[in-house]
Amino acid sequence: MNVAHAADHTHHDDHHDHKPGFFARWFMSTNHKDIGTLYIIFSIVAGLIGGAFSMMMRAELQSPGLDFITDGQQWNVWITAHGLIMVFFVVMPGLIGGFGNWFVPLMIGAPDMAFPRLNNISFWLTVAAFLLLVTSALVGSGAGTGWTVYPPLSSIAGHPGASVDLAIFSLHLAGASSILGAANFIATIFNMRAPGMTLHKMPLFVWGMLVTAFLLVLSLPVLGGAITMLLTDRNFGTGFFNPEKGGDPILYQHLFWFFGHPEVYIMILPAFGIVSQIIATFSRKPVFGYLGMAYAMVAIGVVGFVVWAHHMFTVGMDVDTRAYFTAATLIIAVPTGVKIFSWVATMWGGSIRFTTPMLWAIGFIFLFTIGGVTGVVLANAGMDIALHDTYYVVAHFHYVLSLGAVFALFAGFYYWIGKMSGRQYPEFLGKLHFFMTFIGVNLIFFPQHFLGLAGMPRRYPDYPDAMAGWNEISSYGAYLAGASTVLFVFIVFYTLFFGRKVGDNYWDVEPQVMTLEWTVSSPPPFHQFEIQPKMN
Amino acid sequence: MQKKYLWLVLAAVAAGITLFTGPVFATAGADAYQMGFQEAVSPVAERIHDFHNMMLWIISGITAFVTLLLLYVMVRFRAGANPTPSATTHNVPLEVVWTVVPVLILIIVAVPSLKLLYFTDRVENPELVVKVTGNQWNWTFEYPDHEGLSYLSVMIPDKDIDPAKGQQRLLSADNQMVIPVDTTVQFIVTASDVLHSFTVPAFGIKVDAVPGRLNETWTRVTKTGTYYGQCSELCGKDHAFMPIEVRVVPKDDFSAWIEAAKTGTTSYDAFLEQRGRSAAVSE
Amino acid sequence: MSEKIEFTTTGKPHPYHIVRPSIWPLCGAAAGVLLASGAVMYMHEVSLGGFAVGLKGVILGLLSVLAVMFFWWKDIVHESVIERAHTKIAEIGLRYGMALFIASEVMFFVAFFWAFFDASLYAGQENMFLRKEYTQGVWPPPQFHVIPPFELPFMMTMILLLSGCTVTWAHHAILEGDNKNAIKALGVTVTLGFVFLCFQVYEYVHAHFGFTEGVYPSTFFMATGFHGFHVFVGTVFLFVCWLRAKKGHFTQERHFGFEAAAWYWHFVDVVWLFLFVAIYWWGNTIGTGTPLPH
Repeated sequence: MNVAHAADHTHHDDHHDHKPGFFARWFMSTNHKDIGTLYIIFSIVAGLIGGAFSMMMRAELQSPGLDFITDGQQWNVWITAHGLIMVFFVVMPGLIGGFGNWFVPLMIGAPDMAFPRLNNISFWLTVAAFLLLVTSALVGSGAGTGWTVYPPLSSIAGHPGASVDLAIFSLHLAGASSILGAANFIATIFNMRAPGMTLHKMPLFVWGMLVTAFLLVLSLPVLGGAITMLLTDRNFGTGFFNPEKGGDPILYQHLFWFFGHPEVYIMILPAFGIVSQIIATFSRKPVFGYLGMAYAMVAIGVVGFVVWAHHMFTVGMDVDTRAYFTAATLIIAVPTGVKIFSWVATMWGGSIRFTTPMLWAIGFIFLFTIGGVTGVVLANAGMDIALHDTYYVVAHFHYVLSLGAVFALFAGFYYWIGKMSGRQYPEFLGKLHFFMTFIGVNLIFFPQHFLGLAGMPRRYPDYPDAMAGWNEISSYGAYLAGASTVLFVFIVFYTLFFGRKVGDNYWDVEPQVMTLEWTVSSPPPFHQFEIQPKMN
Repeated sequence: MQKKYLWLVLAAVAAGITLFTGPVFATAGADAYQMGFQEAVSPVAERIHDFHNMMLWIISGITAFVTLLLLYVMVRFRAGANPTPSATTHNVPLEVVWTVVPVLILIIVAVPSLKLLYFTDRVENPELVVKVTGNQWNWTFEYPDHEGLSYLSVMIPDKDIDPAKGQQRLLSADNQMVIPVDTTVQFIVTASDVLHSFTVPAFGIKVDAVPGRLNETWTRVTKTGTYYGQCSELCGKDHAFMPIEVRVVPKDDFSAWIEAAKTGTTSYDAFLEQRGRSAAVSE
Repeated sequence: MSEKIEFTTTGKPHPYHIVRPSIWPLCGAAAGVLLASGAVMYMHEVSLGGFAVGLKGVILGLLSVLAVMFFWWKDIVHESVIERAHTKIAEIGLRYGMALFIASEVMFFVAFFWAFFDASLYAGQENMFLRKEYTQGVWPPPQFHVIPPFELPFMMTMILLLSGCTVTWAHHAILEGDNKNAIKALGVTVTLGFVFLCFQVYEYVHAHFGFTEGVYPSTFFMATGFHGFHVFVGTVFLFVCWLRAKKGHFTQERHFGFEAAAWYWHFVDVVWLFLFVAIYWWGNTIGTGTPLPH
C-alpha cells in the first residue's frame, strides 16, 4: 500500500522531501506537521463557530428582555454549544493537537510522533465528534444542559430527544481522540528525545505537554465512564443518577469534575509552555528557575486531581469536606505564583523585544494573574456561596481560559506561523489584533465581576433591568473582540499568501535559549531530523 | 522618565481598587453600574462581605504588585534601554521567598475562610422551618410547623408587572415567601424534577435543590423588606424565570399573615390589602 | 554566565519507525460516527423514510469498526514481521503506548467503582430520602436475592487466576524459543477466557434481579458487564496471538504483540479481583449490613 508519490520540489534544502499526493497527504496523513496543520485549521474554524455563539449571546444580553431568542431552550443550546466547542474543539485541538503536534517532535529532535497513524485518528475523531455535536444542536430541541451535562436535566425526562445522546457520543469520540493523542505524546516525549536531551533539559513547552498528556490519560476515562452511565440511564433504564432508583445526581457531578478540574489545567498547561518559550526568546534570556517552572507544572497537575469538588460547594456536601476542598484548592495558588514570578524574573535583566507574540505572552501573564486571584476568592467555600453560579465565575474562568489559553493560542500562532508556513505575518496588523482583542476581552469580562457580585446568575438569557449597565458595556466589548477576530482571519490569509518569506531562525533566537525548531528550515522539510540531532 | 510612568500606573491601580471596593455602594437589589454586593441583611451575609473585602485588598494588592513589576520590567529592560541581557537564571533565596510568601498569604486567607465556612454551615435550634422545593419552573414553599401550609410561587410575567406596586421584572413572584425579622429560620431545600438552586444574595445563602436529597441552610434577617433571588442552577428553558421573592416582615405581621395564608391568602400583598380593608371597615 | 545550548548531530539516521500514509484512521473515525449515529437511531427508534433502522445501524457501525481494526492491525503485523520496522527503540514506544492505554482503562473502571461505592457506602445517608427508600438504609438492599460470592464467582476467580498462570507459561515458552508449548499455553488461556465468559452469561441469565431495577443491579451489571467485555477483548487478543504463534511470528527476542496481550490479560485479571472482593464479597455479604442509626 505504497501511496507516496513524487511531490513537487518546493524546498531548496530537501533531502528526499517526497510529499504524498493531495489526498494521501491530507486525508491519510502520518506526518505530525501536516496533522498539526489540520488541527490548527480545524481549531480556527471551530473557534469562529464558537465565537459566533458568543456574539449571538452578547447580542441577546446587550439589553434586558428577550431580543433574539424566542425560548429559553434555544438559549441553553447556545451556551452548551459555545462551552463544548470552545473547550473540546478550539482550545484542546489548537494547543495540544496543533502546536503540540507541530512542535513537540521538532523540539525534542524527533522525526515524527511515536504513533503517526494513531495521531491521525485522533484528529479525525475530533472532526467526527464535532459533527455529532453540531448534529445534536440541530436535531429536535437541542442539548440545553450546559457543557457539564448534569442529570436530571440531561436525563430522559429532562431532555427526551436524541440531542443529548448525540452530545454524549460526541464526548465519547472526543475523549477517545484525546486519550489516544495523550498516550502518543507521552510515548513520544519519553522515547524519542534526541540523545543528550534529558528530561531536565527539555524545553518547557514539552514539559507542559507531558503533564497535560498525563492529565488527559488519567482524567478523561472517568468522564467516559460518567457519560456512559448517563447514556444507559437515559436509554436502558439503569439508575446511577436517578434518585428514585437509589441513584444520586451528585455522583455525576463528582465524576464530571474529577475529569473537569484536570481538564481546565489540560487547557492551560500547554499555554504555560508556549508563554515560557516566548518570554525567553524575546527577553533573550533563558527561563528563570527552569526546574521550578517544570515542577510547578507537575505540582499543578498532581494537585489538580484532588480539588474537584470546589465546583460543587453548594450541592450540600458535608462541611468538613468543603473545608478540605477549600484548603486543597488554595494550595494551587503556590505553584501558579511560582510560574508568574518566574516569568517576570525571566524578563528582569533581559533585553526585551515587543513583537506581537511577546505582547500576547505578556498580556497572558497579566490577565492570567487577574483570573488567578479571583480563583483564590472562589476557592473559599464560605465565600463561594455568594458567587457560585454567578457572573463572577463566568468572569473568572474566561480570564483564565478565554484571556489565558486563547491568548496563548494567538501567541503561539504569531510565534510559530513563520516556522509553520515559511511566511511571516504583518507585524503592524498583528499588534493591532492584539490591542483590539486585549481591550475587547477586558471590556467583556471585567464588568462581569461586578454583575456577579451584584448577584446575576449565569446561563440567563434575560436579567433584571438594574443589571443593564454593565451588560451593555460587556456586549460592546464582545463586538470589539469579534471585530478583532475578523482581522485575525484576514491576517491569516494575508500571511499565507503575501507574507514575507523567512529563514530558519527568523526571531534571532539566542544560543542560550535555543530550541531545535529554529535549527530547521521554515517550513521544515517533510521529514526532519533524518540524521538524528544531539544535544551537547 | 521611568518615574513618570510609575506614578501614572500607581494612580490607575489606585483608581481601580477604589472602584472595585464596591460594597460601599451596596443596596437592596442591584443598581445600574453597581460594583459590589447587594446589601447584607443577615449575619452570614455580613461575614461574607467582610471576608470578601479582605480578599479584595489581598487580590488587588497581588494584582497591582504583578502589574507594577511587569510594567517596570517592560520599561526598564526593553531592548532599547538594556541592549545586553543578563545571564541570571537562578536565585534560590528569591525562589524560596516567592514560594513561602504566597503560602503565608494563603494561611492568612484560610483561617478566616474556614471560620466563615463553619459559621455558615448549619443552625441547631431554628425558630422557624421553611421547606423549599424547586420545580420546573417555580418554587413550592412549605411551613411544616404551621399545619403544613404549602403554596406555589410563580414569577409574575412581564406584561403583568405593575411598577406602582414596586414589582420588578423577572424578580417579583405572585406568592412570596414570608419570614419574620430577627428570627432564626432554617430552609430545607429539595427539588421535584431537576436540579435548581435556592438563593437570596442579601441573606448570603445559596443551596442546590437536588431531587431525592434534603439540603439545609439558615438565615436570621435583621432588616424588614423585600429581597430577591434567582434560580442558580441550570434547570431548563425557564431557568431565568423562576425568581425567589422573600418578604421579611415584623413578627406580628408574620403571625397574622400565616393565619390568613392558611385560609388561602398566601400572597403577602393580598394579605396587606385585605387587612387594610378590614381595618377600614372596623373604623 | 548561562550556558549556550548546542545542537550537533549523532551523524547517524534516527532509529524510529516512520509510518506510511494510511487510510484506516479516516475510516476508523467514519466508522465511529456510523456506530454512534446507529446507536442513537436505535435508541430513539428512528425510521428513515419509512425504513425502521433498529439495530441495523449499530451492526453496520460495529462491523465497520471491526473491519478497520482488522486492516489496521494487519498493517502493523506486516510492518513488524515482514518489514522488520519495529526496532528495539520503536518497541519501547509501543510498550509506553500499551501501558498508558491500560492506565486509561484502569481510570475507566474507577468511574464504575466510584458509582458502586457511592451507592453502597452511603446506602443509608440520612438526607438522601429517596435512596433510603430504595435501599432501606442498607447495602445490599434487602429486596434483592444476591449472588453468593463463594459459589460461581469464586470459581470464576480461580479460572481467571489460572489463566494468568497459563499466559505466563506461554510467555516463558516464547522466551525459551519453545513455540510448541507457547501455542499450547495460549490455547489453554483462550479456552479459560471463553469458559469464564460462559459462566458469566450463565450468571447473568440466572440472576434474580433485572438491569433496570435500580442502582444495585445497575452498579453490578455495569461493572461486571464492562469487565466481561474486557475479558472478551482480551480473549480475542490472545486468540490472535495464538494464530500468530502458529505462524511463527514470535521469536525469543521480538514478541511484543504477545506481551501486550499478556499485560492486558493481567489487567483484566486484577480488575476482576477488585470486582470480586468489592462487589461480590464485601458488597453482597458484608456491605453496610445493619441499618445505620436513626
